[in-house]
Amino acid sequence: MLEEVGNMMILTGRTLVSAVRPPYPYGSEFTGQFLFAIRLCWFPLLISTIAFGYEAPGLQAANFLVLFGALDRLGGFFVLASIREFAPFVDAIVLAGVAGTAITADLGARKIREELDALQVLGVDPIKNLVVPRFLALMLVTGLFDIYALIFGVFGGILATVVNHAPLGPFFATFFNNAETTDLWGSVVKTTLFGAIIAIVCCYKGMTASGGAEGVGRAVNQAVVIAFLGVFAFNYAFTETLLATHPEITTIIK
Amino acid sequence: MNDLILTPKGWIESFGEIVKFGAQMVRDVATLRVLKFFGEALRQAGILIISSTLVIWGLVFIIGLECGLEGGYFSYSDGTPAYSGVFAAWCDLRELVPLVFGYMMAAKVGTGIVAELGSMRISDEIDALEVMGISGMRFLCATRLLAALMVLPFVYLASIGAGFFASYLAVVQQLGYVSSGGFFLIFWEFQNPPDLLYSLIKAMAMAVVIVIVGCYYGYNASGGPVGVGTATAKSMVLNLVSVHLIGMLGTQLFWGANPRAPIGG
Repeated sequence: MLEEVGNMMILTGRTLVSAVRPPYPYGSEFTGQFLFAIRLCWFPLLISTIAFGYEAPGLQAANFLVLFGALDRLGGFFVLASIREFAPFVDAIVLAGVAGTAITADLGARKIREELDALQVLGVDPIKNLVVPRFLALMLVTGLFDIYALIFGVFGGILATVVNHAPLGPFFATFFNNAETTDLWGSVVKTTLFGAIIAIVCCYKGMTASGGAEGVGRAVNQAVVIAFLGVFAFNYAFTETLLATHPEITTIIK
Repeated sequence: MNDLILTPKGWIESFGEIVKFGAQMVRDVATLRVLKFFGEALRQAGILIISSTLVIWGLVFIIGLECGLEGGYFSYSDGTPAYSGVFAAWCDLRELVPLVFGYMMAAKVGTGIVAELGSMRISDEIDALEVMGISGMRFLCATRLLAALMVLPFVYLASIGAGFFASYLAVVQQLGYVSSGGFFLIFWEFQNPPDLLYSLIKAMAMAVVIVIVGCYYGYNASGGPVGVGTATAKSMVLNLVSVHLIGMLGTQLFWGANPRAPIGG
Protein backbone atom coordinates (compact mmCIF):
# COMPACT_ATOMS: atom_id res chain seq x y z
CA MET A 1 0.00 0.00 0.00
CA LEU A 2 2.60 2.53 1.11
CA GLU A 3 4.97 1.14 -1.47
CA GLU A 4 2.40 1.82 -4.18
CA VAL A 5 1.92 5.40 -3.03
CA GLY A 6 5.67 5.83 -3.04
CA ASN A 7 5.95 4.37 -6.52
CA MET A 8 3.26 6.74 -7.75
CA MET A 9 5.17 9.67 -6.26
CA ILE A 10 8.32 8.50 -8.03
CA LEU A 11 6.35 8.25 -11.27
CA THR A 12 5.03 11.78 -10.73
CA GLY A 13 8.56 13.09 -10.23
CA ARG A 14 9.94 11.31 -13.28
CA THR A 15 6.99 12.49 -15.38
CA LEU A 16 7.52 16.10 -14.38
CA VAL A 17 11.25 15.92 -15.04
CA SER A 18 10.89 14.29 -18.44
CA ALA A 19 8.10 16.68 -19.37
CA VAL A 20 10.37 19.72 -19.09
CA ARG A 21 13.70 18.25 -20.15
CA PRO A 22 14.29 18.32 -23.93
CA PRO A 23 13.79 16.71 -26.40
CA TYR A 24 10.02 16.93 -26.69
CA PRO A 25 8.88 14.02 -28.85
CA TYR A 26 5.39 13.80 -27.40
CA GLY A 27 3.58 16.48 -29.40
CA SER A 28 1.45 14.30 -31.66
CA GLU A 29 0.69 11.77 -28.93
CA PHE A 30 -0.43 14.67 -26.74
CA THR A 31 -2.85 15.92 -29.39
CA GLY A 32 -4.15 12.42 -29.93
CA GLN A 33 -4.79 11.82 -26.24
CA PHE A 34 -6.36 15.25 -25.83
CA LEU A 35 -8.87 14.62 -28.62
CA PHE A 36 -9.41 11.05 -27.42
CA ALA A 37 -10.36 12.23 -23.92
CA ILE A 38 -12.70 14.91 -25.28
CA ARG A 39 -14.38 12.45 -27.62
CA LEU A 40 -14.92 9.90 -24.84
CA CYS A 41 -16.06 12.27 -22.12
CA TRP A 42 -18.23 14.99 -23.57
CA PHE A 43 -21.45 13.05 -23.66
CA PRO A 44 -21.33 11.25 -20.27
CA LEU A 45 -20.23 14.53 -18.72
CA LEU A 46 -23.11 16.41 -20.35
CA ILE A 47 -25.74 14.03 -18.95
CA SER A 48 -24.05 13.72 -15.56
CA THR A 49 -23.66 17.43 -14.91
CA ILE A 50 -27.18 18.35 -15.96
CA ALA A 51 -28.64 15.52 -13.88
CA PHE A 52 -26.49 16.41 -10.91
CA GLY A 53 -27.12 20.15 -11.15
CA TYR A 54 -30.85 19.64 -11.48
CA GLU A 55 -30.99 17.07 -8.73
CA ALA A 56 -28.79 17.97 -5.79
CA PRO A 57 -28.37 21.74 -5.72
CA GLY A 58 -31.31 22.44 -8.03
CA LEU A 59 -34.36 20.62 -6.74
CA GLN A 60 -33.42 20.28 -3.09
CA ALA A 61 -32.24 23.84 -2.62
CA ALA A 62 -35.20 25.17 -4.63
CA ASN A 63 -37.54 23.16 -2.42
CA PHE A 64 -35.98 24.77 0.60
CA LEU A 65 -35.96 28.30 -0.77
CA VAL A 66 -39.54 28.11 -2.08
CA LEU A 67 -40.69 27.60 1.50
CA PHE A 68 -39.35 31.07 2.27
CA GLY A 69 -40.51 32.56 -1.02
CA ALA A 70 -36.88 33.29 -1.85
CA LEU A 71 -36.32 31.23 -4.98
CA ASP A 72 -34.27 34.06 -6.51
CA ARG A 73 -31.47 33.14 -4.08
CA LEU A 74 -30.94 29.90 -5.96
CA GLY A 75 -28.48 31.68 -8.25
CA GLY A 76 -26.30 32.65 -5.30
CA PHE A 77 -26.44 29.14 -4.01
CA PHE A 78 -25.28 27.83 -7.37
CA VAL A 79 -22.05 29.77 -7.08
CA LEU A 80 -21.27 27.82 -3.96
CA ALA A 81 -22.72 24.55 -5.16
CA SER A 82 -21.73 24.37 -8.78
CA ILE A 83 -18.56 26.41 -9.19
CA ARG A 84 -16.89 25.60 -5.93
CA GLU A 85 -17.95 22.04 -5.29
CA PHE A 86 -20.01 19.98 -7.67
CA ALA A 87 -18.77 20.92 -11.12
CA PRO A 88 -15.16 20.03 -10.25
CA PHE A 89 -16.30 16.94 -8.45
CA VAL A 90 -18.54 15.52 -11.22
CA ASP A 91 -15.91 16.53 -13.73
CA ALA A 92 -13.26 14.51 -11.89
CA ILE A 93 -15.54 11.51 -11.37
CA VAL A 94 -16.45 11.33 -15.06
CA LEU A 95 -12.91 11.92 -16.26
CA ALA A 96 -11.55 9.24 -13.92
CA GLY A 97 -14.32 6.81 -14.75
CA VAL A 98 -14.26 7.33 -18.51
CA ALA A 99 -10.92 8.67 -19.71
CA GLY A 100 -8.87 7.27 -16.81
CA THR A 101 -10.17 3.74 -17.21
CA ALA A 102 -9.58 3.92 -20.97
CA ILE A 103 -5.96 4.97 -20.36
CA THR A 104 -5.41 2.13 -17.89
CA ALA A 105 -6.96 -0.40 -20.26
CA ASP A 106 -4.81 0.88 -23.12
CA LEU A 107 -1.50 0.92 -21.22
CA GLY A 108 -2.35 -2.36 -19.49
CA ALA A 109 -2.94 -4.01 -22.84
CA ARG A 110 0.44 -2.76 -24.07
CA LYS A 111 2.10 -4.04 -20.92
CA ILE A 112 0.51 -7.49 -21.28
CA ARG A 113 1.51 -7.70 -24.94
CA GLU A 114 5.06 -6.70 -23.85
CA GLU A 115 4.96 -3.65 -26.09
CA LEU A 116 6.34 -1.51 -23.28
CA ASP A 117 9.37 -3.78 -22.96
CA ALA A 118 9.79 -3.68 -26.73
CA LEU A 119 9.79 0.12 -26.60
CA GLN A 120 12.49 0.11 -23.97
CA VAL A 121 14.59 -2.29 -26.01
CA LEU A 122 14.29 0.12 -28.93
CA GLY A 123 15.62 2.87 -26.67
CA VAL A 124 12.30 4.72 -26.46
CA ASP A 125 11.49 5.95 -22.98
CA PRO A 126 7.89 4.89 -22.15
CA ILE A 127 7.53 7.62 -19.54
CA LYS A 128 8.50 10.37 -21.92
CA ASN A 129 6.53 9.02 -24.86
CA LEU A 130 3.46 7.53 -23.20
CA VAL A 131 3.00 8.90 -19.68
CA VAL A 132 3.95 12.55 -20.21
CA PRO A 133 1.50 13.21 -23.07
CA ARG A 134 -1.33 11.51 -21.15
CA PHE A 135 -0.45 13.41 -18.01
CA LEU A 136 -0.46 16.79 -19.77
CA ALA A 137 -3.52 16.00 -21.88
CA LEU A 138 -5.58 14.84 -18.91
CA MET A 139 -4.60 17.88 -16.87
CA LEU A 140 -5.61 20.21 -19.68
CA VAL A 141 -8.82 18.35 -20.50
CA THR A 142 -9.96 18.14 -16.88
CA GLY A 143 -9.29 21.83 -16.39
CA LEU A 144 -11.17 22.79 -19.54
CA PHE A 145 -14.03 20.40 -18.89
CA ASP A 146 -14.51 22.12 -15.54
CA ILE A 147 -15.89 25.14 -17.40
CA TYR A 148 -18.08 22.85 -19.47
CA ALA A 149 -19.34 21.03 -16.35
CA LEU A 150 -19.98 24.37 -14.69
CA ILE A 151 -22.06 25.69 -17.58
CA PHE A 152 -24.20 22.58 -17.72
CA GLY A 153 -24.43 22.37 -13.93
CA VAL A 154 -25.85 25.88 -13.93
CA PHE A 155 -28.15 24.78 -16.73
CA GLY A 156 -29.49 22.17 -14.28
CA GLY A 157 -30.20 25.02 -11.88
CA ILE A 158 -32.01 26.91 -14.64
CA LEU A 159 -34.14 23.81 -15.26
CA ALA A 160 -34.99 23.66 -11.56
CA THR A 161 -36.01 27.34 -11.64
CA VAL A 162 -38.17 26.79 -14.71
CA VAL A 163 -39.79 23.74 -13.16
CA ASN A 164 -40.81 25.94 -10.24
CA HIS A 165 -42.40 28.43 -12.69
CA ALA A 166 -40.09 31.21 -11.56
CA PRO A 167 -38.53 33.87 -13.83
CA LEU A 168 -34.88 33.42 -14.73
CA GLY A 169 -33.79 37.03 -14.28
CA PRO A 170 -33.40 36.88 -10.48
CA PHE A 171 -31.49 33.61 -10.79
CA PHE A 172 -28.87 35.21 -13.01
CA ALA A 173 -28.85 38.40 -10.96
CA THR A 174 -27.95 36.63 -7.72
CA PHE A 175 -25.63 34.28 -9.59
CA PHE A 176 -23.50 37.05 -11.05
CA ASN A 177 -23.69 39.16 -7.91
CA ASN A 178 -22.12 36.39 -5.91
CA ALA A 179 -19.71 34.97 -8.48
CA GLU A 180 -16.13 35.77 -7.55
CA THR A 181 -13.03 35.38 -9.65
CA THR A 182 -11.41 33.54 -6.75
CA ASP A 183 -14.06 30.86 -6.96
CA LEU A 184 -13.48 30.39 -10.66
CA TRP A 185 -9.72 30.13 -10.58
CA GLY A 186 -9.91 27.96 -7.49
CA SER A 187 -12.23 25.64 -9.38
CA VAL A 188 -10.03 25.47 -12.48
CA VAL A 189 -6.79 24.99 -10.54
CA LYS A 190 -8.44 22.29 -8.47
CA THR A 191 -9.66 20.32 -11.48
CA THR A 192 -6.31 20.65 -13.24
CA LEU A 193 -4.68 19.02 -10.24
CA PHE A 194 -7.44 16.38 -10.21
CA GLY A 195 -6.44 15.61 -13.79
CA ALA A 196 -2.84 15.15 -12.68
CA ILE A 197 -3.87 12.74 -9.91
CA ILE A 198 -6.09 10.73 -12.25
CA ALA A 199 -3.42 10.54 -14.96
CA ILE A 200 -0.67 9.40 -12.61
CA VAL A 201 -2.82 6.75 -10.89
CA CYS A 202 -4.21 5.39 -14.14
CA CYS A 203 -0.86 5.35 -15.96
CA TYR A 204 0.84 3.70 -13.01
CA LYS A 205 -1.80 0.98 -12.72
CA GLY A 206 -1.76 0.40 -16.47
CA MET A 207 2.01 0.15 -16.67
CA THR A 208 2.22 -2.28 -13.77
CA ALA A 209 -0.63 -4.53 -14.90
CA SER A 210 0.24 -8.20 -14.59
CA GLY A 211 -1.27 -11.57 -14.01
CA GLY A 212 -2.59 -12.79 -17.33
CA ALA A 213 -6.20 -12.71 -18.34
CA GLU A 214 -7.58 -11.01 -15.26
CA GLY A 215 -4.68 -8.59 -14.98
CA VAL A 216 -5.89 -5.71 -17.13
CA GLY A 217 -9.42 -5.76 -15.74
CA ARG A 218 -8.05 -5.89 -12.21
CA ALA A 219 -5.75 -2.96 -12.98
CA VAL A 220 -8.67 -0.86 -14.25
CA ASN A 221 -10.68 -1.75 -11.15
CA GLN A 222 -7.90 -0.70 -8.77
CA ALA A 223 -7.02 2.40 -10.77
CA VAL A 224 -10.51 3.83 -10.65
CA VAL A 225 -10.92 3.11 -6.93
CA ILE A 226 -7.60 4.74 -6.05
CA ALA A 227 -8.30 7.69 -8.36
CA PHE A 228 -11.68 8.33 -6.71
CA LEU A 229 -10.24 8.17 -3.21
CA GLY A 230 -7.30 10.37 -4.16
CA VAL A 231 -9.48 12.95 -5.86
CA PHE A 232 -11.97 13.13 -2.99
CA ALA A 233 -9.31 13.41 -0.32
CA PHE A 234 -7.48 16.09 -2.28
CA ASN A 235 -10.78 17.90 -2.90
CA TYR A 236 -11.44 18.09 0.82
CA ALA A 237 -8.00 19.44 1.59
CA PHE A 238 -8.13 21.97 -1.24
CA THR A 239 -11.62 23.29 -0.48
CA GLU A 240 -10.75 23.54 3.17
CA THR A 241 -7.63 25.56 2.42
CA LEU A 242 -9.34 27.78 -0.14
CA LEU A 243 -12.26 28.61 2.15
CA ALA A 244 -10.07 29.23 5.15
CA THR A 245 -7.58 31.44 3.31
CA HIS A 246 -10.15 33.44 1.30
CA PRO A 247 -12.88 34.29 3.80
CA GLU A 248 -14.41 36.86 1.41
CA ILE A 249 -15.75 34.15 -0.93
CA THR A 250 -17.74 32.49 1.83
CA THR A 251 -20.11 35.48 1.86
CA ILE A 252 -22.71 34.06 -0.45
CA ILE A 253 -25.85 36.09 0.10
CA LYS A 254 -25.74 39.52 -1.49
CA MET B 1 -23.35 11.88 -41.01
CA ASN B 2 -23.55 8.11 -41.17
CA ASP B 3 -21.67 8.00 -37.89
CA LEU B 4 -24.22 10.26 -36.29
CA ILE B 5 -26.95 7.75 -37.00
CA LEU B 6 -25.01 4.56 -36.35
CA THR B 7 -23.61 5.52 -32.95
CA PRO B 8 -26.96 6.14 -31.21
CA LYS B 9 -28.33 3.06 -32.95
CA GLY B 10 -25.53 1.01 -31.40
CA TRP B 11 -26.29 2.50 -27.99
CA ILE B 12 -29.97 1.65 -28.22
CA GLU B 13 -29.15 -1.87 -29.33
CA SER B 14 -26.80 -2.54 -26.45
CA PHE B 15 -29.25 -0.89 -24.05
CA GLY B 16 -31.88 -3.39 -25.17
CA GLU B 17 -29.43 -6.26 -24.72
CA ILE B 18 -28.60 -5.12 -21.19
CA VAL B 19 -32.28 -4.81 -20.26
CA LYS B 20 -32.92 -8.32 -21.57
CA PHE B 21 -29.92 -9.66 -19.68
CA GLY B 22 -30.94 -7.85 -16.49
CA ALA B 23 -34.51 -9.12 -16.74
CA GLN B 24 -33.17 -12.66 -16.97
CA MET B 25 -31.04 -12.11 -13.86
CA VAL B 26 -33.91 -10.57 -11.93
CA ARG B 27 -36.20 -13.40 -12.98
CA ASP B 28 -33.70 -15.98 -11.74
CA VAL B 29 -33.55 -14.23 -8.38
CA ALA B 30 -37.27 -13.50 -8.09
CA THR B 31 -38.36 -17.05 -8.90
CA LEU B 32 -35.86 -18.25 -6.29
CA ARG B 33 -34.18 -20.57 -8.81
CA VAL B 34 -30.95 -19.02 -7.65
CA LEU B 35 -31.37 -20.67 -4.24
CA LYS B 36 -29.95 -23.83 -5.78
CA PHE B 37 -26.63 -22.01 -5.54
CA PHE B 38 -27.25 -20.34 -2.21
CA GLY B 39 -23.79 -21.32 -0.99
CA GLU B 40 -22.19 -19.45 -3.86
CA ALA B 41 -24.39 -16.43 -3.13
CA LEU B 42 -23.25 -16.47 0.49
CA ARG B 43 -19.63 -16.66 -0.65
CA GLN B 44 -20.15 -13.66 -2.93
CA ALA B 45 -21.82 -11.79 -0.06
CA GLY B 46 -18.78 -12.51 2.09
CA ILE B 47 -16.44 -11.23 -0.61
CA LEU B 48 -18.55 -8.09 -0.94
CA ILE B 49 -18.39 -7.43 2.79
CA ILE B 50 -14.70 -8.04 3.17
CA SER B 51 -13.38 -6.31 0.09
CA SER B 52 -15.75 -3.42 -0.58
CA THR B 53 -17.42 -2.07 2.54
CA LEU B 54 -14.45 -0.23 4.00
CA VAL B 55 -13.71 1.61 0.78
CA ILE B 56 -17.35 2.63 0.38
CA TRP B 57 -17.52 3.92 3.94
CA GLY B 58 -14.26 5.76 3.47
CA LEU B 59 -15.48 7.64 0.42
CA VAL B 60 -18.83 8.44 2.06
CA PHE B 61 -16.94 9.70 5.10
CA ILE B 62 -14.92 12.11 2.99
CA ILE B 63 -18.04 13.42 1.25
CA GLY B 64 -19.73 13.83 4.62
CA LEU B 65 -16.84 16.06 5.70
CA GLU B 66 -17.28 18.03 2.49
CA CYS B 67 -21.03 18.48 3.03
CA GLY B 68 -20.46 19.61 6.57
CA LEU B 69 -17.77 22.05 5.51
CA GLU B 70 -19.79 23.68 2.73
CA GLY B 71 -22.93 23.67 4.83
CA GLY B 72 -21.15 25.19 7.78
CA TYR B 73 -19.64 28.02 5.76
CA PHE B 74 -22.87 28.56 3.83
CA SER B 75 -25.10 28.92 6.85
CA TYR B 76 -22.47 31.00 8.65
CA SER B 77 -22.45 33.46 5.76
CA ASP B 78 -26.24 33.59 5.98
CA GLY B 79 -25.91 34.56 9.60
CA THR B 80 -27.67 31.37 10.61
CA PRO B 81 -24.88 29.06 11.75
CA ALA B 82 -27.38 27.28 14.02
CA TYR B 83 -29.01 25.89 10.89
CA SER B 84 -25.95 24.04 9.56
CA GLY B 85 -27.85 20.89 10.42
CA VAL B 86 -30.35 21.43 7.60
CA PHE B 87 -27.67 21.45 4.98
CA ALA B 88 -25.93 18.46 6.52
CA ALA B 89 -29.13 16.43 6.78
CA TRP B 90 -30.34 17.09 3.25
CA CYS B 91 -26.99 16.99 1.53
CA ASP B 92 -25.98 13.75 3.22
CA LEU B 93 -29.14 11.75 3.42
CA ARG B 94 -30.94 12.78 0.26
CA GLU B 95 -28.29 13.47 -2.31
CA LEU B 96 -24.64 12.86 -1.87
CA VAL B 97 -24.49 9.68 0.16
CA PRO B 98 -26.61 7.77 -2.42
CA LEU B 99 -24.58 9.25 -5.27
CA VAL B 100 -21.21 8.59 -3.72
CA PHE B 101 -22.33 5.10 -2.76
CA GLY B 102 -23.22 4.63 -6.43
CA TYR B 103 -19.81 5.93 -7.58
CA MET B 104 -17.92 3.62 -5.30
CA MET B 105 -20.16 0.67 -6.11
CA ALA B 106 -19.50 1.27 -9.80
CA ALA B 107 -15.77 1.66 -9.27
CA LYS B 108 -15.15 -1.13 -6.82
CA VAL B 109 -17.90 -3.71 -7.27
CA GLY B 110 -19.03 -3.06 -10.86
CA THR B 111 -15.60 -3.09 -12.48
CA GLY B 112 -14.55 -5.92 -10.17
CA ILE B 113 -17.37 -8.08 -11.49
CA VAL B 114 -16.48 -7.24 -15.09
CA ALA B 115 -12.84 -8.14 -14.55
CA GLU B 116 -13.69 -11.40 -12.82
CA LEU B 117 -16.43 -12.64 -15.15
CA GLY B 118 -14.55 -11.36 -18.20
CA SER B 119 -11.48 -13.39 -17.38
CA MET B 120 -13.69 -16.44 -16.77
CA ARG B 121 -15.28 -15.91 -20.16
CA ILE B 122 -12.06 -15.58 -22.12
CA SER B 123 -10.42 -18.55 -20.41
CA ASP B 124 -13.55 -20.57 -21.38
CA GLU B 125 -14.50 -21.28 -17.78
CA ILE B 126 -18.09 -20.20 -18.41
CA ASP B 127 -18.35 -22.63 -21.32
CA ALA B 128 -16.98 -25.33 -19.04
CA LEU B 129 -19.74 -24.58 -16.56
CA GLU B 130 -22.37 -24.88 -19.26
CA VAL B 131 -20.90 -28.20 -20.38
CA MET B 132 -21.26 -29.49 -16.84
CA GLY B 133 -24.95 -28.61 -17.01
CA ILE B 134 -24.76 -25.57 -14.73
CA SER B 135 -26.36 -22.41 -16.04
CA GLY B 136 -23.63 -19.80 -16.09
CA MET B 137 -26.20 -17.02 -15.87
CA ARG B 138 -27.64 -18.43 -12.70
CA PHE B 139 -24.43 -19.57 -11.06
CA LEU B 140 -22.39 -16.44 -11.77
CA CYS B 141 -24.74 -13.52 -12.34
CA ALA B 142 -27.89 -14.26 -10.36
CA THR B 143 -25.88 -15.26 -7.28
CA ARG B 144 -24.05 -11.94 -7.40
CA LEU B 145 -27.31 -10.05 -7.62
CA LEU B 146 -28.73 -12.01 -4.68
CA ALA B 147 -25.57 -11.35 -2.68
CA ALA B 148 -25.83 -7.63 -3.42
CA LEU B 149 -29.47 -7.57 -2.36
CA MET B 150 -28.68 -9.40 0.87
CA VAL B 151 -25.71 -7.31 1.94
CA LEU B 152 -25.94 -3.85 0.45
CA PRO B 153 -28.93 -2.44 2.36
CA PHE B 154 -26.97 -2.86 5.57
CA VAL B 155 -23.77 -1.54 4.05
CA TYR B 156 -25.70 1.47 2.81
CA LEU B 157 -27.39 2.19 6.15
CA ALA B 158 -24.02 2.02 7.85
CA SER B 159 -22.53 4.34 5.26
CA ILE B 160 -25.24 6.91 5.97
CA GLY B 161 -24.01 6.72 9.55
CA ALA B 162 -20.45 7.35 8.36
CA GLY B 163 -21.61 10.40 6.40
CA PHE B 164 -23.56 11.83 9.35
CA PHE B 165 -20.61 11.30 11.66
CA ALA B 166 -18.30 13.09 9.25
CA SER B 167 -20.69 16.04 8.87
CA TYR B 168 -20.91 16.30 12.63
CA LEU B 169 -17.14 16.32 12.89
CA ALA B 170 -16.79 19.03 10.24
CA VAL B 171 -19.56 21.32 11.48
CA VAL B 172 -19.30 21.00 15.25
CA GLN B 173 -15.77 19.90 16.03
CA GLN B 174 -13.87 21.60 13.24
CA LEU B 175 -15.74 24.81 12.37
CA GLY B 176 -17.39 25.17 15.75
CA TYR B 177 -20.02 27.76 14.77
CA VAL B 178 -22.76 25.71 16.44
CA SER B 179 -22.92 23.64 19.58
CA SER B 180 -23.36 19.91 19.45
CA GLY B 181 -26.87 20.00 20.91
CA GLY B 182 -27.98 22.80 18.60
CA PHE B 183 -26.65 20.96 15.57
CA PHE B 184 -28.45 17.73 16.42
CA LEU B 185 -31.73 19.47 17.24
CA ILE B 186 -32.00 20.92 13.73
CA PHE B 187 -30.35 17.91 12.14
CA TRP B 188 -32.92 15.40 13.38
CA GLU B 189 -35.79 17.84 12.94
CA PHE B 190 -35.17 17.98 9.19
CA GLN B 191 -35.32 14.28 8.45
CA ASN B 192 -37.70 11.45 9.17
CA PRO B 193 -37.92 7.69 8.53
CA PRO B 194 -39.57 7.99 5.08
CA ASP B 195 -36.61 10.08 3.94
CA LEU B 196 -34.32 7.27 5.01
CA LEU B 197 -36.44 4.76 3.15
CA TYR B 198 -36.44 6.87 -0.05
CA SER B 199 -32.70 7.28 0.18
CA LEU B 200 -32.32 3.53 0.60
CA ILE B 201 -34.53 2.88 -2.43
CA LYS B 202 -32.44 5.25 -4.52
CA ALA B 203 -29.19 3.61 -3.50
CA MET B 204 -30.47 0.08 -4.00
CA ALA B 205 -31.76 0.94 -7.47
CA MET B 206 -28.27 2.16 -8.31
CA ALA B 207 -26.69 -0.96 -6.83
CA VAL B 208 -28.95 -3.32 -8.79
CA VAL B 209 -28.25 -1.50 -12.06
CA ILE B 210 -24.52 -1.53 -11.39
CA VAL B 211 -24.45 -5.27 -10.68
CA ILE B 212 -26.50 -5.98 -13.82
CA VAL B 213 -24.28 -3.80 -16.02
CA GLY B 214 -21.15 -5.34 -14.52
CA CYS B 215 -22.40 -8.87 -15.11
CA TYR B 216 -23.46 -8.03 -18.66
CA TYR B 217 -20.11 -6.60 -19.71
CA GLY B 218 -18.17 -9.37 -17.97
CA TYR B 219 -20.34 -12.21 -19.22
CA ASN B 220 -20.14 -10.99 -22.81
CA ALA B 221 -16.46 -10.01 -22.82
CA SER B 222 -14.39 -11.07 -25.80
CA GLY B 223 -11.00 -10.42 -27.35
CA GLY B 224 -8.49 -11.71 -24.83
CA PRO B 225 -7.06 -9.91 -21.80
CA VAL B 226 -7.21 -6.62 -23.70
CA GLY B 227 -10.92 -7.12 -24.32
CA VAL B 228 -11.52 -7.58 -20.61
CA GLY B 229 -9.78 -4.28 -19.89
CA THR B 230 -11.82 -2.48 -22.53
CA ALA B 231 -15.06 -4.00 -21.26
CA THR B 232 -14.19 -2.87 -17.73
CA ALA B 233 -13.61 0.68 -18.91
CA LYS B 234 -16.84 0.68 -20.92
CA SER B 235 -18.96 -0.59 -18.02
CA MET B 236 -17.74 2.37 -15.98
CA VAL B 237 -19.12 4.88 -18.50
CA LEU B 238 -22.58 3.37 -18.49
CA ASN B 239 -22.57 3.00 -14.71
CA LEU B 240 -21.67 6.63 -14.10
CA VAL B 241 -24.38 7.90 -16.42
CA SER B 242 -27.02 5.63 -14.92
CA VAL B 243 -26.04 6.53 -11.35
CA HIS B 244 -26.64 10.19 -12.14
CA LEU B 245 -29.90 9.53 -13.97
CA ILE B 246 -31.27 7.33 -11.17
CA GLY B 247 -30.27 9.96 -8.64
CA MET B 248 -32.10 12.65 -10.59
CA LEU B 249 -35.24 10.59 -11.17
CA GLY B 250 -35.30 9.50 -7.53
CA THR B 251 -35.05 13.06 -6.27
CA GLN B 252 -37.75 14.22 -8.65
CA LEU B 253 -40.00 11.35 -7.64
CA PHE B 254 -39.51 11.44 -3.87
CA TRP B 255 -38.88 15.09 -3.10
CA GLY B 256 -39.84 16.93 -6.27
CA ALA B 257 -43.40 17.77 -5.29
CA ASN B 258 -43.02 17.77 -1.54
CA PRO B 259 -39.88 19.08 0.18
CA ARG B 260 -40.80 17.17 3.35
CA ALA B 261 -39.49 19.94 5.61
CA PRO B 262 -40.94 20.79 9.02
CA ILE B 263 -41.59 24.43 8.06
CA GLY B 264 -44.07 26.42 6.01
CA GLY B 265 -47.30 25.09 4.67
